[in-house]
Amino acid sequence: MRYVVESCGYCGACVAVCSNKLLELTENEIIIREGCKNCGRCEKVCPLGALISEDAQ
Amino acid sequence: MKYDVIVVGGRIGGSISSLFASRNDVDVLMIEKRQEIGSPVQCAEGTTFSTFETLEMKPSKKYICSEIRGAQVHAPDGRTMKVEEGMTDGNILNNNTISEGYVLDRRVFDKYLAIESAKVGTDVMVKTTVKDLIRKEGKVCGVVAKHLGETMEIKADVVIAADGVESNLAYKSGINSIKNPDDICSCAQYELVGLDIDPNLLEFYFGRTVAPGGYSWIFPKGEGIANVGVGVRNSTETAYYYLKKFVSKFDATPVELNIGGVPLSGPMDKTYNDGFLVVGDAAGQVDPITGGGIHITASCARIAGEVAAEAIKEENVSSMSLKRYDELWRDEFEDNLKTSFKFRKAFDKLSDSDMNALAEFFENNDLEKISKLTTLKFLGKHPNLLKLLKDLL
Ligand SMILES: Cc1cc2nc3c(=O)[nH]c(=O)nc-3n(C[C@H](O)[C@H](O)[C@H](O)COP(=O)(O)OP(=O)(O)OC[C@H]3O[C@@H](n4cnc5c(N)ncnc54)[C@H](O)[C@@H]3O)c2cc1C
Repeated sequence: MRYVVESCGYCGACVAVCSNKLLELTENEIIIREGCKNCGRCEKVCPLGALISEDAQ
Repeated sequence: MKYDVIVVGGRIGGSISSLFASRNDVDVLMIEKRQEIGSPVQCAEGTTFSTFETLEMKPSKKYICSEIRGAQVHAPDGRTMKVEEGMTDGNILNNNTISEGYVLDRRVFDKYLAIESAKVGTDVMVKTTVKDLIRKEGKVCGVVAKHLGETMEIKADVVIAADGVESNLAYKSGINSIKNPDDICSCAQYELVGLDIDPNLLEFYFGRTVAPGGYSWIFPKGEGIANVGVGVRNSTETAYYYLKKFVSKFDATPVELNIGGVPLSGPMDKTYNDGFLVVGDAAGQVDPITGGGIHITASCARIAGEVAAEAIKEENVSSMSLKRYDELWRDEFEDNLKTSFKFRKAFDKLSDSDMNALAEFFENNDLEKISKLTTLKFLGKHPNLLKLLKDLL
C-alpha cells in the first residue's frame, strides 16, 4: 500500500478494516506495520484517497 | 500507577463512561491520544432530544447550534418528501427516524462532557496513546500508554475501550472487531458558510450519482452555516470526490473539512471480556441506516460506566459480572439495530428508479391514509420493490 500522508485526514476508517490489524492512527499519521499484503481494503474506505494499492500506481 | 477504571478515548463514549463511573465513587482515568478533546470533528453533529434525558443534563446554548423540527428527503430524480414535527417519535438519527433534535457543536460538546467528568473526579491524560492492554492469565488488568515518547504501564480493574472506529483494543482483548469495508460508510463533509437554507430542517439526498451506497446531507447550524457532507460505500470514487460534486451547486464557502468512517455493520457479537468493556463506534453501536451514533453511544457509555463501578464495588470484574453491560444495552438497542441492519441490506438493493418510484408513491398518497389496495397496486407495478418487501417480512 502506498500512503500519501499529505492526503490523509487522520480519521482511522482504514484501521477499522485492516484484516491483519497492521494499521495504527497516531495523531496525524497512519503507521503501516510490516506484513501488508496490499489487499486494498483500506483503500476502499479512505475518504480522501490517501491509501493506494501498489498495483494501481 | 493504579486506577479502578481506565477509559480509553475522550469523546462521547469515553467522557460519558468516565462521568458515570466517577459519579459512582470509583477512581477513573480517561486517556485521549489527541492533544485537544473533540478535535478534529468527525460528525454531522445531529442528535435527538433524548440524548440529554439519558445524560440527565439540561441542553445548553453553549454547544447547541440549532434546533431541528423536520427533515426533507430528496429522491434521485429531485422529488422531495418532507418529514415534519409530530410525524415521528421525536428521535433524530436514531431508531431510523430523522425529524427532531439538535445540531450540536461537537468540538464544544465533547470538551464540555470531558470537563463535567473531570469535575466529578475523573483524571484525564491527553496526548497519550494507549498502545496495548496488560493481560494477566487472560484477564485485562491495565494498559500500556505512551506520552511524549515515554512509555508507562497503568494498572486498572476494568478497562473501557471507547476508542472509536479506529479501535484496536477490542481486538487485542480477544474480541473479533475487524470490519468489512462494505459496512464502512466513508464520509467527507464541509462546514459551509453563506447558504440559503431552512435553519430548522435537515436535508438528505439519495442516488447513485450523488452518494452511491449512502446519502448526502445538509445539517443547518444557524446563520446560513451548515454541515454539508457525503457518505458513500463500495464506491470507486472517494467520498471527497462526491463532496466536491455535491457542493459545486452551492454558492457558499467552506471553513472546515471533516472526514470519517462510520461502522454500519450493526453491533458486535460480544462487547465485554474479563476486566474489559467496549462502547460506541468501537462496539458498532451505530444505526446502520442513518449512521447516527451519538445517542446510542451516550446511552451505552452510561451503562458501561455504571456497570464497571458496580462490578468494582462487588469486587468481581470477571466477564460473567461485566456481561451485565452487554445485556443491558442490548435490551435497549439491539432489536432496533438489527432491524435497521436488515433494512440497510434491503436498501442496498434499491436502484435509483426504485427510489424514484417510492418517492412518487409517497408524494401522491397521504402517509397516514394509504390503503392496502393502493399499496398492492403500487407493488404490482414494481416487482423489485415487492421482492424486497418479501425479503424484509
Ligand atoms: C462524517 C460523520 C458524520 C456523522 N454524523 C453523525 C450525526 O449527525 N449524528 C450522530 O448521531 N452520529 C453521527 N456520526 C457518528 C458519530 O460521530 C459517532 O457514532 C460517535 O462520535 C462515536 O463516539 P465514540 O466516542 O464511540 O468515538 P469517537 O468519537 O471516534 O472517539 C474516539 C476517541 O478515542 C480516541 N482514541 C482512539 N484510539 C486511542 C488510543 N489508542 N489511545 C487513546 N485515545 C484513543 C480518539 O482520538 C477519539 O478522540 C457521524 C460520523 C461521521 C464519521
